[in-house]
Parts: sequence; structure tokens; C-alpha cells
Amino acid sequence: MKSTIRVFFGIFLAATTVTATQAIAADGENIFKAKNCQSCHYTAGPAREKSIADQLAKKGPELWYAGSKFQSAWLQKWLQDPAVIRPLAYNSLSEMNLGNHARLAADDAVAVSEFLMSLVSSEVEAGVIKPKNHPKGRLIFRKKMPCSGCHQFPDRNKISGGMSGPSLVGAGSRLNPDWIYAYLKNGQVFKPFKDMPTFAGLLRETDLQAVAAYIATFE
Amino acid sequence: MLRQIQAILLFICFGLLSMGSVYAAGAEQLFKFYCAQCHGLEGKGNGPNVTESFATDPRDFTDRAEMEKLSDADIKNVILDGGPSASKSELMPPWSKTLTEEEVDTLVSYIRKLCKCQAKQ
Repeated sequence: MKSTIRVFFGIFLAATTVTATQAIAADGENIFKAKNCQSCHYTAGPAREKSIADQLAKKGPELWYAGSKFQSAWLQKWLQDPAVIRPLAYNSLSEMNLGNHARLAADDAVAVSEFLMSLVSSEVEAGVIKPKNHPKGRLIFRKKMPCSGCHQFPDRNKISGGMSGPSLVGAGSRLNPDWIYAYLKNGQVFKPFKDMPTFAGLLRETDLQAVAAYIATFE
Repeated sequence: MLRQIQAILLFICFGLLSMGSVYAAGAEQLFKFYCAQCHGLEGKGNGPNVTESFATDPRDFTDRAEMEKLSDADIKNVILDGGPSASKSELMPPWSKTLTEEEVDTLVSYIRKLCKCQAKQ
């Protein structure tokens, strides 16, 4: 009898938690719309860009797979204190990112984060990539197919790398390692027109996994 | 009748000129989207990725003397297969899985316009 009560209580608790999470996410969606975030970020997938011009017309990154891309704790924190991720202004090669992204109050950040984390892509398989300082990943990232040419990364005591791509400093706490791999493997699903080369087909899948695992170690 | 023929010829010329400008815009857009991040918006080899840690100077496409040493096939091969295919820097990645053959040809033509030079035969 006691175990039956425990099971019912467990189911009740789980259902209540799911409902509460959904309610917070719904609040977050309302806040997202009220603050006009969708004027720069679209949240309904799949990717809608049909040309380079479509990509260049965007004012900010698409967020329809945000829940597969980001880590929740990082997102909540970033929405309250949005530090610069892209050294250059979005879609620009000549203007610096002024770091003037809107910031949210703590409660709003929790709700918006919950909403964004509910936006997931079936392209991202969970549990494939574990962060690892992989020698092969390191070699590819720094030399063989140098991602470092376009992305800043932590290089011992300094920050090295190019500026056209998003910085990968702090990628270990910002990005979902499985999303990094999915993006390397099939990036066009997320961004059909991107200025990053497609490496799938040039590198083996195990190499792409090694690079993803290596990037996921960046502090 | 003569005026009608003149009007038709003018219309055709205008149409051809318009097509030319559409082509040029496409080439410039491709270059600025994919190449300018390292080679610079004007092709001078000074894109925003060329920071202190960038191990080599990207090719300056406006350097006529250097560009005349390259055939169009040389340029095309490096775009498709990356710098190491021509014993150049790994920082030039291979674009063969990103760009179509037609897009690469368009870029080669645009690069030739930047150097205002003839290809090595």
C-alpha cells in the first residue's frame, strides 16, 4: 500500500513539475515577444534562409534550436549580463560589436531561458560528445583545419584567434557539446548560408567528434 | 520603322547591362560573404581575422605582380582544396563542400577583376 502511494505521489510530483516548467516557458515566450526580441531573433524552425541575402538581412542569430545549442545555467546568467560573444557586429566585417544587447531582470531571464531551452532540434543527438582535451581535436582545431583562424579561443594565458566567427572562449559552459558536433556534421540544417566552411565529407566523423569534444573543454 | 528598331536595340542593350550588374552583384556578394573575412572587403589581404595570432598574411588580390604568377586554375584549386594543396597555409580552408563549381568560377573571375591582371597561361 505504501509503495502504491509513493508511486502515485511521484507521478503527481513529476506532472506538477512539468506543468510548472511549461507555465514558466509560456511566461518566457510572452516576455520574449513583449520585449520585441523576435525583431532580431526568429524562434520558429526550420531554418528559413534561402540565400546569402536572407542571411545578411538577419539582425541577430536564429534561436529556433536554442535549447539544443545552449546550456541553461549559462543562458540564464547571460540574459542578465550579456557579455560580447561575437567580436564583430552581427553580419558585419567592419563594425565592432558594441555589446549593447538588451539585459533582463533575474525573473525574466529565468522565464525567457526556460522558453528558449524548450526550442530543440531533432538533429542533435544527446549524449554523443563528452568534453575532452583530445590531441586529434586540438591538432585539427589549431592547425590542420584551423578553426582558430576565425574563432577566438583560450590559448594558455591569452586569447588567440580570428574575429569573424563567434568567440569560443567559454564554449564549455555556453554550448551543448552534442550541438557543436551536430553543427560540424550538418551545419546547413541550422544555418543554410554560413561563412564557415563545411568540413563534413573532408574530415571523418570521428575527427568531427574530436574537434567538438576539444571545443567543449574551453573555459 | 527605324525608330522602332532603335527602341528595340536600346531595350536589348539595357537588358544586357542589367544582367551584367546582377552578375557583378552576385560575385561581389560571394566574395564579401566567404572570402573577405580573411582577404578583406577590398581583397587587400587585411580581413578582420588577420590578428596577431594569424600565422600568415592572406593573399593580397590587388597585388598585380604576384597575381599574374597564378593561373585561374591555380586560384580555383586553392579555393576548392585549401592552401596545403598548393603548399600554402592551412589557414586557407578547403571550400569544396561549401561552394558549387559555378560559384568558385564566379569568385575566380571576381578576383581577376580585383587584381586587374591577366592570368598566367
